[in-house]
Amino acid sequence: MTKSKFDVVVIGGGSTGTAVARDCAMRGLQTLLLERDDIASATVGTCAGMISSGLKYRDEPDMMKICSKEVVYWNHIARHIIAKNPILAPLLDLSDAASDSSYMESYSEHVEERDVPAMMFLTPDASIEIEPMLHPEIIASVYYEEYFIDPFRLCLLQALDARNHGAEIRTYCEVIDFEINDKQEIEGVIFYNRVSGATERVETKLVVNAAGPWAHKVAKSAKDYLPIRLNKGAHVIFDRRIVNIGITVKAMDGRWIYLFPHENTTLLGTTALDTWENPDTLVASFDEIEYLLQSMETVLPSIREARIIRTMTGVRPLVPDWKVPERNVTRGYRIIDHSENDGKKGLISFLGGKLVTCRHMAEAVTDLVCEKLGKDIACSTHEKPLPGNEDDVDIIALSKEYDISLHALERMRARRGTEMVKVLELTKEHPEWKTTICTCEPIIEAEIRLSIREEFPQTLNDLRRRLRLGTGPCQGTFCTYKAASILSDELGLAGDDFLVDILDFRAERWKGIRQSMRGEQLAQEELAQGMYACVGNLDQSDVDYDVKPWEEGF
Amino acid sequence: MDLEADLVVIGGGMAGLIAGTIAAEEGLDTILLRKGQSATAYSSGAIDVIGYLPEASEPISSPEEGLFALSRLYPLHPYSVIGYDDRIESGKIVETIVERTKEAITWLKAHLDGTDAPLMGDFKSNMHPITILGTTKPTCLIQKTMDHGDVQTREDSVLLFIGITGYADFNPSTAAKTYLEDRIADTSPPRIVGHRTVQVMPFGKPYNLSSVELARHLDHEGTIEDLAEQLKGHIEQLGATHLAFPPILGIQNALKNKVKLEELTGTTVFELLGFPPSIPGQRLQRALETIFTKAGGKMLLGHEATSYQKVNDIVKSITATAPRREIKIDANAFVLATGKYIGGGIAGDEKGLRETVFDLGPVTGDYHSAMEIVPSRSTSRLSISPTGQPIQSCGLSVDPRFRPVNDDGIEWAKNLFAAGAVIAGYNYSVEKSGLGVAATSGYSAAKNAIEFIKEVT
Ligand SMILES: Cc1cc2nc3c(=O)[nH]c(=O)nc-3n(C[C@H](O)[C@H](O)[C@H](O)COP(=O)(O)OP(=O)(O)OC[C@H]3O[C@@H](n4cnc5c(N)ncnc54)[C@H](O)[C@@H]3O)c2cc1C
Ligand SMILES: Cc1cc2nc3c(=O)[nH]c(=O)nc-3n(C[C@H](O)[C@H](O)[C@H](O)COP(=O)(O)OP(=O)(O)OC[C@H]3O[C@@H](n4cnc5c(N)ncnc54)[C@H](O)[C@@H]3O)c2cc1C
Repeated sequence: MTKSKFDVVVIGGGSTGTAVARDCAMRGLQTLLLERDDIASATVGTCAGMISSGLKYRDEPDMMKICSKEVVYWNHIARHIIAKNPILAPLLDLSDAASDSSYMESYSEHVEERDVPAMMFLTPDASIEIEPMLHPEIIASVYYEEYFIDPFRLCLLQALDARNHGAEIRTYCEVIDFEINDKQEIEGVIFYNRVSGATERVETKLVVNAAGPWAHKVAKSAKDYLPIRLNKGAHVIFDRRIVNIGITVKAMDGRWIYLFPHENTTLLGTTALDTWENPDTLVASFDEIEYLLQSMETVLPSIREARIIRTMTGVRPLVPDWKVPERNVTRGYRIIDHSENDGKKGLISFLGGKLVTCRHMAEAVTDLVCEKLGKDIACSTHEKPLPGNEDDVDIIALSKEYDISLHALERMRARRGTEMVKVLELTKEHPEWKTTICTCEPIIEAEIRLSIREEFPQTLNDLRRRLRLGTGPCQGTFCTYKAASILSDELGLAGDDFLVDILDFRAERWKGIRQSMRGEQLAQEELAQGMYACVGNLDQSDVDYDVKPWEEGF
Repeated sequence: MDLEADLVVIGGGMAGLIAGTIAAEEGLDTILLRKGQSATAYSSGAIDVIGYLPEASEPISSPEEGLFALSRLYPLHPYSVIGYDDRIESGKIVETIVERTKEAITWLKAHLDGTDAPLMGDFKSNMHPITILGTTKPTCLIQKTMDHGDVQTREDSVLLFIGITGYADFNPSTAAKTYLEDRIADTSPPRIVGHRTVQVMPFGKPYNLSSVELARHLDHEGTIEDLAEQLKGHIEQLGATHLAFPPILGIQNALKNKVKLEELTGTTVFELLGFPPSIPGQRLQRALETIFTKAGGKMLLGHEATSYQKVNDIVKSITATAPRREIKIDANAFVLATGKYIGGGIAGDEKGLRETVFDLGPVTGDYHSAMEIVPSRSTSRLSISPTGQPIQSCGLSVDPRFRPVNDDGIEWAKNLFAAGAVIAGYNYSVEKSGLGVAATSGYSAAKNAIEFIKEVT
């Protein structure tokens, strides 16, 4: 049961909100995080997970410095969910190289602290040796290295760590209103519990609005105002790691796009389109998919032969700079203290920012929160590790001890670090839970059970974020019903809810599969229809299924 | 290497194997090419004829009645096309369609008797077997191992769903809950539904068990006795009258195992309808292959039809490629039964769809060219809905003799006949008509091919 009084209520469970909740809790504040959906269910879950050196923002040297520093912190507190990716920028003509040369120096300024080599040029032969799919006529390429983090696990670990430090984390709770007194001070937050259907309220001294692309809507429900610039970005996702190395190239409009191996898949992204749509309804368009494919084709001519499994679309909550293209909008962030512009007292909002800077953003806002509460407590989020980062893990020894494949264990390690032992311990009493449920990833039953018990998922989609369930080539065709059964067992759901869970997850996967459907995915979809409609007869099911935002209309 | 035959069938799923068997039984020299996987082997192994009319939400209680309605409302449906042959009197159209379908289904049932996939049920009424999710679906014929007896009618029936430890393809507790809720809503028996788990360990490990391992294991002597021993206590405890198993009761001995388990436990034992990898689907595939070879047909596995030679409006030969060889087969007629996306008969990318052997232009479910459609635009926003995914209705347009036609409606070749999922105009997943259309169109395509061959020779 939620307490009724807090020092601070954080709205939003994305990278920003979870980082803020963690920082506030670690500084001993009574903290409540309210997320209308699940942790990492919005923008952060659609990002590439690059914790970049800030290379793209070399016109903002301060940003580059912050990014570089943050990369160092992340490697200190979350190295178990981080991977280093080498990247090539192949050049097809000299103008590519000449157009901007400043980036080499900017990038190289901070290489030592990040533990990567300085940027260098490679010959065509050396480049093609690394990635044989490259266009044979490239004249050179630029080599550099960046770090990537699993954005879902990062948010979840921040939330769990916040909870470990006393914060309350409430998912499926949507903030709908505020209690504001005569002095224009916020006194309470009113939210709708989407699971129970009840409206609840809590008292709080301060509110941090980290609602990403909905931040202006949250401000509006406090009868306040927040200008924002929303910008849509899409990715195309391939079935496995189709390149040996990340590739970046300039698209036809001069923007940089990339192809990054990511976990068990490869991401091709991204687009940037100003948008005024409801972010929940957005999907990638045919134009965006073609823009990305055609641009990458210039250096990887065979990219279309690779198997596309889906698209993924998110909305960047940018600082509202006008009269500049998206790429020139600052990637810095702003903290808006609404009381300073005659707005509501006690409301603080974020604009802009990145995944890589979420900890930094949280530190800055928590400093302000502490100041307002009259407390002087230092930040320690960059020093104390996130759960699982405590030590190295000997996968080979664990594989022998528990008789589970190395591959499955390595994937588990990349999610849980030292905490994976908790999963393995479960298999001592329940050896049958060593059964692989999602073969693409792969994920064993014990990890699903542990996640349901300790990581508060409500739906299969929440399990996907925690475990990468259903994210491989079959897009959950085979694991949906198996995982739904386990969820149903653990949560004691009724039969109808079990069927709704299946339909929900198919709907969520379909959202991304549909836009890019071609090639082998046609057969994959015939299989899914054959299973869930033809045999399962779920197309005729009369369960209460809520139509999703992106399913409305025709 | 060159071969000669009367008839070449391209595709070895339900449609191709039936077409081939009919032709071989007729005494024709028949060669069948099969490239690889077929949707037939992925199916639950129950034969749907028609479960729902397009866009209707009430299940059809009788396939026969369903076909009467379908043949009037949907003259272009693959079940209906034969009725619109100019040799058939206009007063006899509907009757012809219904009779032909019945003939094909009856033929199928009779031919699979004595194989590893014997069937039961009839054309006059749909059954409602239970699936591994605990849902039910309307279907025409089921494999005899799936016979649940009087569980849905006997007032005091008590059903136990039986799971196997470490076998993730079936979870008995969710199936039991789902099925019971369905029964309560329907106010019909069984009123008591439970679930239990037993241990079957083909390799001594209680995890990562697959359907094939379990089914193979249960084909061995003594395994059913062990199972019965484990079940006894559970049955007594709940007074179970019926036991529902995932579809793994055996590959060759499934029916024998069912009967033996029934004798040993004094209950009715049956298999649920399941998902791929589906043992009953594989049993069906094998049974069809058996009747085809028994009829004298020759099957070339791992051979993919890759090109053809055509003179005027006659296909002369087909070239098939296998890992270490290429063969040319001359024949008088050809049946194209290559399936849809799973079988590989239809393929597509962002530029459009195409038929894979003869490069014919597929059409959409409403018979517009699908050669330049963007697949995603032929889909519904809802993943699983009674509307289905329109892209799954794409395929070839055929004339009343099952010959693929050009956009002018004239056959592309006089001696090329199509059958099964490669044909357009029906969405089997929502209609529940997959194996029925494959069987009926395979049957008719073969009859037409035979007629053509007899005319020319
Ligand atoms: C395509 C794309 C690629 C990107 N790639 C990178 C990258 O590689 N590296 C990088 O550093 N950054 C990247 N970014 C940017 C980065 O993802 C975002 O800036 C950052 O993750 C935003 O996080 P957030 O927490 O502010 O927003 P969100 O993740 O959107 O979180 C906001 C949360 O608030 C919740 N919420 C909204 N309204 C309410 C309410 N009324 N009540 C309760 N909860 C509410 C939402 O449900 C949501 O979960 C990328 C962005 C995009 C779109
Ligand atoms: C998961 C699932 C469950 C289903 N369950 C049921 C069910 O319970 N009941 C029901 O009635 N229907 C069911 N269906 C539908 C049913 O399986 C199909 O509609 C039916 O099997 C189609 O048969 P077919 O012979 O036309 O095609 P397929 O069975 O796909 O056969 C096509 C054959 O052609 C071969 N081929 C393709 N191209 C070439 C080439 N160039 N050269 C040589 N060979 C080639 C393939 O290898 C394959 O053998 C299900 C479908 C799926 C996917």
